[in-house]
Amino acid sequence: MIAPSLTERYVATMAIQTKEKLVAIVDDDELMRSALQGMLKSVGLPSQAFESAEEFLKSGQQQQTACLIADIRMPGMSGLELQAKLNAEHCRIPTIFITAHGDTKMRMQALRAGAVEFLAKPFDDEVLLESVRAALENWAQ
Amino acid sequence: MKGRSKLGRYSVATICCGVALAVAWPIDAPSSCFLLAVTVSSLFGGLGPGLFSIALSSLAFNYFFLRRTFPLATEPATYLRFAVFLAAALLITGLMELKRRVEESRNRAEEALRQASSDLARVSRVTTMGELTASVAHEVKQPIAASITNAKTCLRWLAADKPNLEEARAAARRIVEDQTRAAEIIKRIRELFKKGAPQREWVDVNEVIQEMVVLLRSEAAPYFISVRTELAADLPHVMGDRVQLQQVLMNLMMNSIDAMTDVNGTRELTINSQLGENEQLVVSVSDTGVGLPAQQADKIFDAFFTTKPHGTGMGLRISRSIVESHGGRLWAADNSSRGASFQFTLPTKLEVHE
Repeated sequence: MIAPSLTERYVATMAIQTKEKLVAIVDDDELMRSALQGMLKSVGLPSQAFESAEEFLKSGQQQQTACLIADIRMPGMSGLELQAKLNAEHCRIPTIFITAHGDTKMRMQALRAGAVEFLAKPFDDEVLLESVRAALENWAQ
Repeated sequence: MKGRSKLGRYSVATICCGVALAVAWPIDAPSSCFLLAVTVSSLFGGLGPGLFSIALSSLAFNYFFLRRTFPLATEPATYLRFAVFLAAALLITGLMELKRRVEESRNRAEEALRQASSDLARVSRVTTMGELTASVAHEVKQPIAASITNAKTCLRWLAADKPNLEEARAAARRIVEDQTRAAEIIKRIRELFKKGAPQREWVDVNEVIQEMVVLLRSEAAPYFISVRTELAADLPHVMGDRVQLQQVLMNLMMNSIDAMTDVNGTRELTINSQLGENEQLVVSVSDTGVGLPAQQADKIFDAFFTTKPHGTGMGLRISRSIVESHGGRLWAADNSSRGASFQFTLPTKLEVHE
Protein backbone atom coordinates (compact mmCIF):
# COMPACT_ATOMS: atom_id res chain seq x y z
CA MET A 1 0.00 0.00 0.00
CA ILE A 2 1.62 3.21 -1.15
CA ALA A 3 -0.15 6.45 -0.43
CA PRO A 4 0.81 9.82 -1.96
CA SER A 5 4.12 11.08 -0.70
CA LEU A 6 2.66 13.87 1.39
CA THR A 7 0.29 11.51 3.14
CA GLU A 8 3.07 9.00 3.52
CA ARG A 9 5.28 11.45 5.35
CA TYR A 10 2.33 12.47 7.45
CA VAL A 11 1.45 8.88 8.32
CA ALA A 12 5.03 8.15 9.22
CA THR A 13 5.16 11.02 11.70
CA MET A 14 1.73 10.23 13.03
CA ALA A 15 2.63 6.60 13.53
CA ILE A 16 5.48 7.62 15.77
CA GLN A 17 3.48 10.20 17.61
CA THR A 18 0.29 8.24 18.12
CA LYS A 19 1.64 4.70 18.47
CA GLU A 20 -1.49 2.57 19.02
CA LYS A 21 -3.85 5.51 18.97
CA LEU A 22 -7.03 5.11 17.03
CA VAL A 23 -9.62 7.25 15.34
CA ALA A 24 -13.00 6.10 16.59
CA ILE A 25 -16.16 6.45 14.50
CA VAL A 26 -19.57 6.37 16.18
CA ASP A 27 -22.49 6.39 13.76
CA ASP A 28 -25.67 4.33 13.65
CA ASP A 29 -25.64 4.27 9.86
CA GLU A 30 -23.67 1.39 8.42
CA LEU A 31 -22.97 3.04 5.06
CA MET A 32 -21.62 6.11 6.82
CA ARG A 33 -19.39 4.01 9.06
CA SER A 34 -17.81 2.12 6.19
CA ALA A 35 -17.37 5.30 4.12
CA LEU A 36 -15.55 7.02 6.99
CA GLN A 37 -13.40 3.97 7.71
CA GLY A 38 -12.51 3.69 4.03
CA MET A 39 -11.59 7.36 3.91
CA LEU A 40 -9.31 7.12 6.94
CA LYS A 41 -7.71 3.97 5.58
CA SER A 42 -6.87 5.75 2.34
CA VAL A 43 -4.80 8.30 4.25
CA GLY A 44 -3.25 5.58 6.36
CA LEU A 45 -5.11 6.19 9.60
CA PRO A 46 -6.23 3.21 11.64
CA SER A 47 -9.83 3.47 12.78
CA GLN A 48 -12.48 1.54 14.54
CA ALA A 49 -16.22 1.95 14.03
CA PHE A 50 -18.99 1.65 16.60
CA GLU A 51 -22.73 1.38 16.01
CA SER A 52 -23.70 3.38 19.07
CA ALA A 53 -22.32 5.58 21.82
CA GLU A 54 -23.03 2.80 24.30
CA GLU A 55 -20.99 0.32 22.30
CA PHE A 56 -18.07 2.74 22.20
CA LEU A 57 -18.22 3.30 25.97
CA LYS A 58 -18.41 -0.44 26.60
CA SER A 59 -15.43 -1.18 24.34
CA GLY A 60 -12.94 0.33 26.78
CA GLN A 61 -11.15 1.93 23.82
CA GLN A 62 -11.53 5.50 25.09
CA GLN A 63 -7.94 5.68 26.27
CA GLN A 64 -6.56 4.64 22.89
CA THR A 65 -8.83 7.01 21.02
CA ALA A 66 -6.95 10.04 19.75
CA CYS A 67 -9.87 11.43 17.79
CA LEU A 68 -13.58 10.72 17.79
CA ILE A 69 -15.86 11.21 14.78
CA ALA A 70 -19.46 11.02 15.96
CA ASP A 71 -22.95 11.41 14.59
CA ILE A 72 -25.28 13.47 16.78
CA ARG A 73 -28.70 11.94 16.37
CA MET A 74 -28.60 8.26 17.11
CA PRO A 75 -31.03 5.91 18.78
CA GLY A 76 -30.05 5.55 22.42
CA MET A 77 -27.36 7.93 23.59
CA SER A 78 -26.83 10.95 21.33
CA GLY A 79 -23.46 12.25 20.22
CA LEU A 80 -23.77 15.25 22.52
CA GLU A 81 -24.60 13.02 25.49
CA LEU A 82 -21.59 10.88 24.68
CA GLN A 83 -19.42 14.00 24.67
CA ALA A 84 -20.83 15.09 28.04
CA LYS A 85 -20.24 11.66 29.51
CA LEU A 86 -16.63 11.56 28.29
CA ASN A 87 -16.08 15.06 29.68
CA ALA A 88 -17.52 13.97 33.03
CA GLU A 89 -15.07 11.07 33.08
CA HIS A 90 -12.24 13.52 32.31
CA CYS A 91 -11.66 11.67 29.11
CA ARG A 92 -11.22 14.58 26.74
CA ILE A 93 -11.10 13.10 23.28
CA PRO A 94 -10.96 15.67 20.45
CA THR A 95 -14.38 15.18 18.88
CA ILE A 96 -15.63 15.96 15.39
CA PHE A 97 -19.39 15.90 14.92
CA ILE A 98 -21.02 15.08 11.64
CA THR A 99 -24.74 15.57 11.42
CA ALA A 100 -27.51 15.99 8.92
CA HIS A 101 -29.74 17.89 11.35
CA GLY A 102 -27.21 20.38 12.64
CA ASP A 103 -28.59 23.72 13.72
CA THR A 104 -26.71 26.69 15.14
CA LYS A 105 -27.81 25.99 18.69
CA MET A 106 -26.59 22.42 18.56
CA ARG A 107 -23.36 23.53 16.94
CA MET A 108 -22.71 26.07 19.70
CA GLN A 109 -23.47 23.49 22.37
CA ALA A 110 -21.05 21.02 20.82
CA LEU A 111 -18.26 23.55 20.36
CA ARG A 112 -18.68 24.93 23.88
CA ALA A 113 -18.35 21.41 25.24
CA GLY A 114 -15.03 21.16 23.44
CA ALA A 115 -15.80 19.73 20.02
CA VAL A 116 -13.06 20.52 17.50
CA GLU A 117 -15.34 20.59 14.47
CA PHE A 118 -19.01 20.43 13.60
CA LEU A 119 -19.75 19.36 10.03
CA ALA A 120 -23.04 19.12 8.14
CA LYS A 121 -23.75 16.20 5.85
CA PRO A 122 -22.80 15.95 3.07
CA PHE A 123 -19.42 17.21 4.22
CA ASP A 124 -16.16 17.99 2.48
CA ASP A 125 -13.83 15.10 3.32
CA GLU A 126 -10.74 17.33 3.02
CA VAL A 127 -12.13 19.54 5.79
CA LEU A 128 -12.84 16.48 7.87
CA LEU A 129 -9.35 15.05 7.30
CA GLU A 130 -7.80 18.40 8.18
CA SER A 131 -9.69 18.36 11.47
CA VAL A 132 -8.67 14.78 12.19
CA ARG A 133 -5.03 15.68 11.54
CA ALA A 134 -5.26 18.76 13.71
CA ALA A 135 -6.86 16.74 16.49
CA LEU A 136 -4.17 14.07 16.31
CA GLU A 137 -1.40 16.66 16.34
CA ASN A 138 -2.88 18.49 19.30
CA TRP A 139 -3.31 15.27 21.11
CA ALA A 140 0.26 14.22 20.48
CA GLN A 141 1.64 17.41 22.01
CA MET B 1 -90.32 13.35 -7.29
CA LYS B 2 -87.65 14.58 -9.67
CA GLY B 3 -88.14 11.70 -12.05
CA ARG B 4 -91.74 12.48 -12.82
CA SER B 5 -92.64 15.17 -15.33
CA LYS B 6 -94.45 18.34 -14.38
CA LEU B 7 -97.47 17.29 -16.41
CA GLY B 8 -97.49 13.90 -14.68
CA ARG B 9 -97.48 15.48 -11.23
CA TYR B 10 -100.34 17.84 -12.10
CA SER B 11 -102.24 14.90 -13.59
CA VAL B 12 -101.85 13.00 -10.30
CA ALA B 13 -103.27 16.03 -8.47
CA THR B 14 -106.23 16.19 -10.87
CA ILE B 15 -106.91 12.44 -10.57
CA CYS B 16 -106.72 12.63 -6.77
CA CYS B 17 -109.31 15.41 -6.70
CA GLY B 18 -111.55 13.45 -9.14
CA VAL B 19 -111.39 10.34 -6.98
CA ALA B 20 -112.04 12.41 -3.87
CA LEU B 21 -115.12 13.93 -5.47
CA ALA B 22 -116.38 10.50 -6.54
CA VAL B 23 -115.95 9.10 -3.05
CA ALA B 24 -117.21 12.21 -1.24
CA TRP B 25 -120.43 12.53 -3.25
CA PRO B 26 -122.27 9.42 -1.99
CA ILE B 27 -121.06 9.68 1.63
CA ASP B 28 -121.28 13.47 1.84
CA ALA B 29 -117.86 13.94 3.43
CA PRO B 30 -116.16 16.49 1.22
CA SER B 31 -113.72 17.92 3.82
CA SER B 32 -111.98 14.64 4.65
CA CYS B 33 -111.86 13.38 1.07
CA PHE B 34 -110.54 16.58 -0.47
CA LEU B 35 -108.01 16.97 2.38
CA LEU B 36 -106.78 13.47 1.57
CA ALA B 37 -106.50 14.42 -2.09
CA VAL B 38 -104.54 17.58 -1.25
CA THR B 39 -102.24 15.59 1.07
CA VAL B 40 -101.49 12.99 -1.60
CA SER B 41 -100.94 15.64 -4.27
CA SER B 42 -98.57 17.66 -2.06
CA LEU B 43 -96.70 14.58 -0.92
CA PHE B 44 -96.04 13.23 -4.40
CA GLY B 45 -96.28 16.35 -6.52
CA GLY B 46 -94.74 19.07 -4.39
CA LEU B 47 -95.81 22.64 -3.89
CA GLY B 48 -97.26 23.37 -7.36
CA PRO B 49 -99.51 20.32 -7.67
CA GLY B 50 -100.46 20.76 -3.99
CA LEU B 51 -101.75 24.29 -4.58
CA PHE B 52 -103.36 23.15 -7.83
CA SER B 53 -105.22 20.40 -5.94
CA ILE B 54 -106.37 22.95 -3.36
CA ALA B 55 -107.79 25.10 -6.16
CA LEU B 56 -109.55 22.13 -7.77
CA SER B 57 -110.87 20.90 -4.42
CA SER B 58 -112.16 24.35 -3.53
CA LEU B 59 -113.98 24.63 -6.85
CA ALA B 60 -115.47 21.17 -6.46
CA PHE B 61 -116.32 21.74 -2.82
CA ASN B 62 -117.98 25.02 -3.65
CA TYR B 63 -119.82 23.87 -6.75
CA PHE B 64 -120.92 20.38 -5.80
CA PHE B 65 -121.42 20.63 -2.08
CA LEU B 66 -122.03 24.19 -1.01
CA ARG B 67 -124.22 25.27 -3.97
CA ARG B 68 -125.85 21.99 -5.01
CA THR B 69 -126.57 20.42 -1.66
CA PHE B 70 -127.59 23.62 0.02
CA PRO B 71 -128.63 25.88 -2.81
CA LEU B 72 -130.19 28.35 -0.51
CA ALA B 73 -127.86 27.88 2.35
CA THR B 74 -127.37 31.01 4.25
CA GLU B 75 -126.03 29.77 7.54
CA PRO B 76 -122.51 30.97 8.06
CA ALA B 77 -121.59 27.50 9.41
CA THR B 78 -121.49 26.18 5.85
CA TYR B 79 -118.98 28.79 4.77
CA LEU B 80 -117.07 28.31 7.98
CA ARG B 81 -116.75 24.61 7.11
CA PHE B 82 -115.33 25.64 3.76
CA ALA B 83 -112.90 28.08 5.34
CA VAL B 84 -111.63 25.48 7.81
CA PHE B 85 -111.15 23.05 4.94
CA LEU B 86 -109.19 25.64 2.98
CA ALA B 87 -106.94 26.48 5.94
CA ALA B 88 -106.24 22.80 6.64
CA ALA B 89 -105.46 22.15 2.99
CA LEU B 90 -103.08 25.10 2.80
CA LEU B 91 -101.37 24.01 6.02
CA ILE B 92 -100.86 20.49 4.71
CA THR B 93 -99.38 21.71 1.45
CA GLY B 94 -97.10 24.05 3.36
CA LEU B 95 -95.94 21.30 5.72
CA MET B 96 -95.29 18.91 2.85
CA GLU B 97 -93.22 21.53 1.08
CA LEU B 98 -91.26 22.15 4.30
CA LYS B 99 -90.63 18.42 4.71
CA ARG B 100 -89.43 18.17 1.11
CA ARG B 101 -86.97 21.06 1.58
CA VAL B 102 -85.60 19.61 4.82
CA GLU B 103 -85.05 16.27 3.13
CA GLU B 104 -83.35 17.90 0.18
CA SER B 105 -80.92 19.85 2.34
CA ARG B 106 -80.21 16.75 4.41
CA ASN B 107 -79.36 14.83 1.27
CA ARG B 108 -77.09 17.64 0.15
CA ALA B 109 -75.39 17.66 3.57
CA GLU B 110 -74.88 13.91 3.49
CA GLU B 111 -73.40 14.09 0.03
CA ALA B 112 -71.06 16.88 1.15
CA LEU B 113 -70.04 14.86 4.20
CA ARG B 114 -69.22 11.83 2.08
CA GLN B 115 -67.14 14.00 -0.22
CA ALA B 116 -65.41 15.67 2.73
CA SER B 117 -64.45 12.45 4.43
CA SER B 118 -63.00 11.01 1.26
CA ASP B 119 -61.06 14.25 0.71
CA LEU B 120 -59.90 14.10 4.28
CA ALA B 121 -58.63 10.57 3.88
CA ARG B 122 -56.40 11.80 1.11
CA VAL B 123 -55.39 14.96 2.91
CA SER B 124 -54.46 12.97 5.99
CA ARG B 125 -52.20 10.79 3.88
CA VAL B 126 -50.61 13.78 2.20
CA THR B 127 -50.18 15.60 5.53
CA THR B 128 -48.39 12.66 7.03
CA MET B 129 -46.23 12.65 3.93
CA GLY B 130 -45.56 16.35 4.41
CA GLU B 131 -44.38 15.69 7.93
CA LEU B 132 -42.21 12.94 6.55
CA THR B 133 -40.56 15.02 3.86
CA ALA B 134 -37.93 16.40 6.22
CA SER B 135 -36.92 12.97 7.43
CA VAL B 136 -36.97 11.60 3.91
CA ALA B 137 -34.58 14.36 2.88
CA HIS B 138 -32.30 13.32 5.71
CA GLU B 139 -32.66 9.67 4.82
CA VAL B 140 -31.54 10.38 1.25
CA LYS B 141 -28.79 12.75 2.36
CA GLN B 142 -27.19 9.98 4.38
CA PRO B 143 -26.25 7.62 1.51
CA ILE B 144 -25.38 10.59 -0.69
CA ALA B 145 -22.89 11.87 1.89
CA ALA B 146 -21.46 8.38 2.21
CA SER B 147 -21.10 7.99 -1.54
CA ILE B 148 -19.31 11.35 -1.92
CA THR B 149 -16.83 10.29 0.74
CA ASN B 150 -16.38 6.91 -0.92
CA ALA B 151 -15.87 8.51 -4.34
CA LYS B 152 -13.16 10.78 -2.98
CA THR B 153 -11.56 7.84 -1.21
CA CYS B 154 -11.59 5.93 -4.48
CA LEU B 155 -9.89 8.85 -6.27
CA ARG B 156 -7.32 9.07 -3.51
CA TRP B 157 -6.36 5.41 -3.95
CA LEU B 158 -6.12 5.89 -7.71
CA ALA B 159 -4.08 9.08 -7.42
CA ALA B 160 -1.31 7.39 -5.48
CA ASP B 161 2.07 6.96 -7.17
CA LYS B 162 1.25 3.30 -7.39
CA PRO B 163 -2.55 3.18 -7.47
CA ASN B 164 -4.12 0.63 -5.16
CA LEU B 165 -6.77 -0.91 -7.39
CA GLU B 166 -8.09 -3.32 -4.80
CA GLU B 167 -8.90 -0.52 -2.37
CA ALA B 168 -10.26 1.67 -5.14
CA ARG B 169 -12.52 -1.18 -6.22
CA ALA B 170 -13.76 -1.64 -2.63
CA ALA B 171 -14.57 2.08 -2.43
CA ALA B 172 -16.40 1.93 -5.77
CA ARG B 173 -18.42 -1.02 -4.52
CA ARG B 174 -19.43 1.03 -1.50
CA ILE B 175 -20.59 3.82 -3.82
CA VAL B 176 -22.83 1.35 -5.63
CA GLU B 177 -24.26 0.26 -2.30
CA ASP B 178 -24.86 3.86 -1.19
CA GLN B 179 -26.56 4.86 -4.40
CA THR B 180 -28.66 1.71 -4.44
CA ARG B 181 -30.00 2.67 -1.06
CA ALA B 182 -30.68 6.26 -2.14
CA ALA B 183 -32.55 4.96 -5.19
CA GLU B 184 -34.52 2.51 -3.02
CA ILE B 185 -35.63 5.28 -0.71
CA ILE B 186 -36.78 7.42 -3.60
CA LYS B 187 -38.62 4.48 -5.13
CA ARG B 188 -40.49 3.88 -1.88
CA ILE B 189 -41.48 7.52 -1.61
CA ARG B 190 -42.86 7.44 -5.12
CA GLU B 191 -44.90 4.39 -4.24
CA LEU B 192 -46.30 6.11 -1.19
CA PHE B 193 -47.43 9.08 -3.23
CA LYS B 194 -48.97 6.99 -5.98
CA LYS B 195 -52.66 7.53 -6.28
CA GLY B 196 -55.16 5.28 -7.88
CA ALA B 197 -57.09 2.06 -7.64
CA PRO B 198 -55.85 -0.47 -5.09
CA GLN B 199 -53.43 -2.90 -6.62
CA ARG B 200 -53.69 -6.42 -5.33
CA GLU B 201 -50.57 -8.53 -5.43
CA TRP B 202 -48.74 -11.03 -3.25
CA VAL B 203 -47.00 -8.97 -0.58
CA ASP B 204 -44.24 -9.97 1.80
CA VAL B 205 -45.39 -8.18 4.94
CA ASN B 206 -41.97 -8.48 6.60
CA GLU B 207 -40.49 -6.62 3.65
CA VAL B 208 -43.10 -3.85 4.01
CA ILE B 209 -42.31 -3.60 7.75
CA GLN B 210 -38.60 -3.29 7.04
CA GLU B 211 -39.19 -0.63 4.40
CA MET B 212 -41.25 1.44 6.80
CA VAL B 213 -38.64 1.01 9.52
CA VAL B 214 -36.02 2.44 7.17
CA LEU B 215 -38.30 5.32 6.22
CA LEU B 216 -39.29 6.17 9.77
CA ARG B 217 -35.95 5.60 11.42
CA SER B 218 -34.95 9.22 11.16
CA GLU B 219 -38.39 10.24 12.40
CA ALA B 220 -37.62 8.25 15.56
CA ALA B 221 -33.94 9.11 15.92
CA PRO B 222 -34.34 12.76 17.01
CA TYR B 223 -36.33 11.56 20.01
CA PHE B 224 -33.86 8.79 20.78
CA ILE B 225 -36.44 6.13 20.12
CA SER B 226 -34.99 2.76 19.26
CA VAL B 227 -36.89 0.78 16.67
CA ARG B 228 -36.87 -3.00 17.04
CA THR B 229 -38.31 -5.65 14.78
CA GLU B 230 -39.17 -9.21 15.73
CA LEU B 231 -40.10 -10.76 12.41
CA ALA B 232 -40.96 -14.43 12.09
CA ALA B 233 -39.08 -16.08 9.25
CA ASP B 234 -40.78 -17.75 6.29
CA LEU B 235 -44.14 -16.07 6.73
CA PRO B 236 -46.59 -16.72 3.92
CA HIS B 237 -47.31 -13.73 1.69
CA VAL B 238 -50.65 -11.96 1.77
CA MET B 239 -52.77 -10.83 -1.15
CA GLY B 240 -53.08 -7.10 -0.78
CA ASP B 241 -52.29 -3.56 -1.76
CA ARG B 242 -48.69 -2.91 -0.85
CA VAL B 243 -49.09 0.86 -0.63
CA GLN B 244 -52.15 0.61 1.61
CA LEU B 245 -50.34 -1.80 3.93
CA GLN B 246 -47.43 0.63 4.06
CA GLN B 247 -49.93 3.31 5.00
CA VAL B 248 -51.34 1.23 7.87
CA LEU B 249 -47.86 0.56 9.23
CA MET B 250 -46.85 4.18 8.80
CA ASN B 251 -49.93 5.37 10.69
CA LEU B 252 -49.38 2.95 13.57
CA MET B 253 -45.65 3.66 13.77
CA MET B 254 -46.12 7.44 13.58
CA ASN B 255 -48.71 7.22 16.37
CA SER B 256 -46.23 5.27 18.47
CA ILE B 257 -43.44 7.75 17.82
CA ASP B 258 -45.74 10.68 18.67
CA ALA B 259 -46.73 8.91 21.90
CA MET B 260 -43.11 8.62 23.02
CA THR B 261 -41.66 12.04 22.29
CA ASP B 262 -42.37 13.30 25.80
CA VAL B 263 -41.97 10.22 28.00
CA ASN B 264 -39.04 9.66 30.31
CA GLY B 265 -37.28 6.34 30.37
CA THR B 266 -37.17 3.70 27.69
CA ARG B 267 -38.45 4.75 24.30
CA GLU B 268 -38.87 1.66 22.28
CA LEU B 269 -40.94 0.94 19.20
CA THR B 270 -41.33 -2.76 18.48
CA ILE B 271 -42.85 -4.26 15.38
CA ASN B 272 -43.57 -7.95 15.61
CA SER B 273 -44.85 -10.32 12.95
CA GLN B 274 -45.93 -13.91 13.40
CA LEU B 275 -48.28 -16.56 12.15
CA GLY B 276 -51.46 -16.78 14.22
CA GLU B 277 -54.56 -18.95 14.19
CA ASN B 278 -56.18 -20.04 10.93
CA GLU B 279 -53.01 -19.17 9.07
CA GLN B 280 -53.62 -15.51 9.74
CA LEU B 281 -50.67 -13.20 9.86
CA VAL B 282 -50.53 -11.17 13.06
CA VAL B 283 -48.58 -7.90 13.11
CA SER B 284 -48.24 -5.87 16.27
CA VAL B 285 -46.86 -2.37 16.73
CA SER B 286 -46.03 -1.63 20.38
CA ASP B 287 -44.50 1.38 22.09
CA THR B 288 -43.51 2.54 25.54
CA GLY B 289 -45.32 5.85 25.17
CA VAL B 290 -48.09 7.59 27.07
CA GLY B 291 -50.58 4.81 26.34
CA LEU B 292 -54.19 5.09 25.27
CA PRO B 293 -56.53 7.62 26.83
CA ALA B 294 -58.36 5.99 29.73
CA GLN B 295 -62.07 5.30 29.21
CA GLN B 296 -61.73 6.35 25.62
CA ALA B 297 -60.08 3.27 24.25
CA ASP B 298 -63.19 2.44 22.24
CA LYS B 299 -63.28 5.91 20.69
CA ILE B 300 -59.84 5.88 19.15
CA PHE B 301 -61.15 4.27 15.99
CA ASP B 302 -63.87 6.89 15.54
CA ALA B 303 -63.45 9.41 12.77
CA PHE B 304 -62.11 12.78 13.96
CA PHE B 305 -61.15 11.42 17.39
CA THR B 306 -57.62 12.54 18.18
CA THR B 307 -55.40 13.09 21.18
CA LYS B 308 -52.80 15.00 19.20
CA PRO B 309 -52.85 18.80 18.91
CA HIS B 310 -52.65 18.63 15.13
CA GLY B 311 -54.12 15.21 14.49
CA THR B 312 -56.87 14.72 11.94
CA GLY B 313 -58.42 11.85 13.85
CA MET B 314 -58.52 9.83 10.65
CA GLY B 315 -55.36 7.70 10.89
CA LEU B 316 -56.70 4.76 12.88
CA ARG B 317 -60.07 4.98 11.19
CA ILE B 318 -58.48 4.71 7.75
CA SER B 319 -56.04 2.03 8.91
CA ARG B 320 -58.89 -0.08 10.23
CA SER B 321 -60.87 0.21 7.00
CA ILE B 322 -57.78 -0.75 4.99
CA VAL B 323 -57.13 -3.82 7.15
CA GLU B 324 -60.79 -4.80 6.96
CA SER B 325 -60.78 -4.43 3.18
CA HIS B 326 -57.99 -7.00 3.23
CA GLY B 327 -60.17 -9.39 5.24
CA GLY B 328 -58.33 -8.75 8.50
CA ARG B 329 -58.98 -7.01 11.80
CA LEU B 330 -57.24 -4.13 13.59
CA TRP B 331 -57.57 -3.52 17.31
CA ALA B 332 -55.84 -1.99 20.31
CA ALA B 333 -54.33 -4.79 22.38
CA ASP B 334 -53.60 -4.74 26.08
CA ASN B 335 -50.09 -3.72 26.84
CA SER B 336 -49.02 -5.34 30.07
CA SER B 337 -46.38 -2.85 31.20
CA ARG B 338 -46.95 0.54 29.62
CA GLY B 339 -47.50 2.28 26.33
CA ALA B 340 -49.86 1.12 23.65
CA SER B 341 -49.97 -1.86 21.40
CA PHE B 342 -51.93 -2.27 18.20
CA GLN B 343 -52.42 -5.52 16.39
CA PHE B 344 -53.82 -6.43 13.06
CA THR B 345 -54.38 -9.66 11.22
CA LEU B 346 -54.23 -10.40 7.53
CA PRO B 347 -55.43 -13.65 5.97
CA THR B 348 -52.72 -15.48 4.05
CA LYS B 349 -55.12 -17.63 2.07
CA LEU B 350 -57.64 -16.36 -0.40
CA GLU B 351 -60.94 -16.80 1.38
CA VAL B 352 -63.82 -18.18 -0.62
CA HIS B 353 -66.86 -16.30 0.53
CA GLU B 354 -70.04 -18.28 0.42
